[in-house]
Amino acid sequence: MDVKKFVLIRVYGAQCSVYLFFSILAFLVSLLAAPAVSAEDTAYLDELLGSAREMRLSGERYWDILVHYKPSGSGRKSLVDDPKFFLAPDGKKNPEAELEATIKSLFQEDKADEEHPRCRFIARYTWLKERLNIDEARLPPATCTKFNEALASINPKSAALIFPATHINSPASMFGHTLIRIDSSYRSELLSHAVNYAAVTTDSNGFLYAFKGIFGFYHGYYSNLPYYEKVSEYSDLERRDMWEYKLNLSEEEVRRMLMHIWELKDIYSDYYFFDENCSYNLLFLLEAARPSVNLTDRFSGVRFWVIPTDTIRAIKESGLIVGVKYRPSQATRILFKASHMAGASQKVSIEVAGGKKSPQSVLEMGIAPEEKAKILDLSAELLQYKYSRKQISKDDYLKLFLPTLNARSTLGTPDPASDAIPPPVAPEKGHLPGKFSFGPGYRDDSAFMEIGWRAAYHDLLDPDDGYIEGAQVNFFDLRGRYYFKEDSLRLESLRFIDIVSLSPWNTFFKPVSWKVNTGFDRKILSDGEQHLIYRVNPGGGFAYKTPFLGLSYIMLETDVNLSDRLKHDYSVGFGVSAGVFKNIGDSWKINLSAQSLYYEIGDEHRSMKASLATNYKITTDSGLTLTVSREKTFDYYQSEMKLLWNLYL
Amino acid sequence: MKKFVAVAVMSLLLVFAVSLDFAAAKSTTSGEAKRNTGCGLGTMLFKNKADNSTILQSLQATTNATFGNQTFGITSGTSECEQPAKFAKNDRLNEFVVANMDNLAKDIARGRGETLDAFADLMQIPVEKRAEFYQKLQANFAKVFTSENVVMANVVDNVVTVSATN
Repeated sequence: MDVKKFVLIRVYGAQCSVYLFFSILAFLVSLLAAPAVSAEDTAYLDELLGSAREMRLSGERYWDILVHYKPSGSGRKSLVDDPKFFLAPDGKKNPEAELEATIKSLFQEDKADEEHPRCRFIARYTWLKERLNIDEARLPPATCTKFNEALASINPKSAALIFPATHINSPASMFGHTLIRIDSSYRSELLSHAVNYAAVTTDSNGFLYAFKGIFGFYHGYYSNLPYYEKVSEYSDLERRDMWEYKLNLSEEEVRRMLMHIWELKDIYSDYYFFDENCSYNLLFLLEAARPSVNLTDRFSGVRFWVIPTDTIRAIKESGLIVGVKYRPSQATRILFKASHMAGASQKVSIEVAGGKKSPQSVLEMGIAPEEKAKILDLSAELLQYKYSRKQISKDDYLKLFLPTLNARSTLGTPDPASDAIPPPVAPEKGHLPGKFSFGPGYRDDSAFMEIGWRAAYHDLLDPDDGYIEGAQVNFFDLRGRYYFKEDSLRLESLRFIDIVSLSPWNTFFKPVSWKVNTGFDRKILSDGEQHLIYRVNPGGGFAYKTPFLGLSYIMLETDVNLSDRLKHDYSVGFGVSAGVFKNIGDSWKINLSAQSLYYEIGDEHRSMKASLATNYKITTDSGLTLTVSREKTFDYYQSEMKLLWNLYL
Repeated sequence: MKKFVAVAVMSLLLVFAVSLDFAAAKSTTSGEAKRNTGCGLGTMLFKNKADNSTILQSLQATTNATFGNQTFGITSGTSECEQPAKFAKNDRLNEFVVANMDNLAKDIARGRGETLDAFADLMQIPVEKRAEFYQKLQANFAKVFTSENVVMANVVDNVVTVSATN
């Protein structure tokens, strides 16, 4: 019975019959295997099973950790979905049967072509051996060649938690990713190993991808790769800065973690983007290393999503984190290097990287050697960057890269301090991702109280510390209002998703800024009253950043409105929006914005809106927002003012 | 009629979005997502998660997916590459140089850097001798990276030769 068939049958809901089949199979196998087990073995097996039952080992926490059991209904169920992970046919739902099957498996004869269960499930075995005082001499011999090789190669000494921060132009990656780095006795961290949990897919359609990722259609696997590959992936290719949190796990604890990772090799669990994701699954590894910390329970039950920064906070609160290191991405390095160069030198760098000026001619320029070195350093980075984006061919890249470095090698070594990029505020030090807001307002000569709740994550008006400036993701933002005059409570808006990515243009990068939001909103309609509509509002444009104005943007956008109050039930508008975000000191943020839309399809009308919003940070997790706006829609003017108190939670 | 136009616009938008997505995804299919085979410069990992981002690319970022089978590779080997003649067989070193040759070249040219430190670790250069080692490599950059077609075995052998000279 191969795995594929098993999965197929399971999909069609014939789970029970499969289990039955497995039970019969297991029974037959046990009959066949029975004669091979000597009387002596049987006696010892019975003894071990007896003590395991007596000690109620299957109820112990470490067993739950190793098999990923979580309470489910009246019993416990493993979050791992791969049948290969279980030794008992009903192991996923029966911790006791799984434990006994594991003990039985210790007595299997060692076969040349497959790993002995004692090696395959080496963390389980090590734990059982400790708890039951197993005398290895009384078990059939087994050598764990593969595991020992891996152990020798990885040479685990210590560990770190790695968090690649947001992709600057892709706010959805805000949910980010976490991985675990296992450090060896090498001095260089690049030579460590990275343990990663990720969904495995061959789909290339973005919608399918997101849908399947969210609803558990992908299988998540743990993998183990050289850390330098991960650094290259995140830092060089994806423009993501990385945060490395040193863990205070002892050598013994890291070794225990590695044993559990070994058990999870080639084992899948269904991947759920929101909760059973990478960040959540890595918590099991930390628990396997140090069972006294309780991390996975903090995220099951109450919450239905797990955000990497939350897991970092939880791990920090558990006292596991002893230090943090910032690893800037290549894009950050480029901008940092450029910021220490004159505009004319930056231009020369670009020309060299573009093949318009030879590296040799830089050496002949009448400027200080340090400045020449900076120019060529930047050219080399730019060339790598362009090549990694496939903006230039491999041939062109090589023709320019090597001569650039050759010229550079004659110019001495830079002061180490010049490479030290000051780290921004660490992600776990920013505001919490949830937000509750409450406060009074006034609209169209009617006073109201507003109450709102956002599930996650960051609004452009929220303080930027720990987040990427210009990147907004609001998931599930619900607002209600009570109007005193009408004595009515009503839904003001419910935005399922509201993403804005303002990624500024500069000398080196020319990214597109974009936005998309969808959900229910109130809008003034032809009767001059506000009504609930459903809206889909995408847009794209450009952003620019100057010290004086702050982050400014302009976008073209489309707005689709649906409501039975609209003529033809719908309205589609096109138009433009623009605005600026400016930080004043550490606590103030001001946003001025305007939008003008022409609805030419469906219910025809025009809408214009201008607003001024300001946010004042009181503490990291609280603040005040004052918003004043005026709009004209269907020839009706309305103004609004509101003051909200925000609590991040 | 207007309803028809609206539907047409919406479907156009959708087709546009999806086609953008395909364009973006084309080069991320399994083959190319893996390391380009090769043992020389310009052999970096490609994923083409380029910056000309669309919403759909961003959607892709939601699931931390990897393409195809992930190895639990302790060492993936460099058997397709010529092996260094002047340095004892060291898979870890060879693999590192193949995967990081561009960054290594950049660090050698500058005389310092993290990739160069890792390289020195693998070459087992004692910490107190590294300044000299780095200096020699920088001064002999053109002798280490002899041409744009240089491969891992040449680089390792050239480093051995260069660092042995006075």
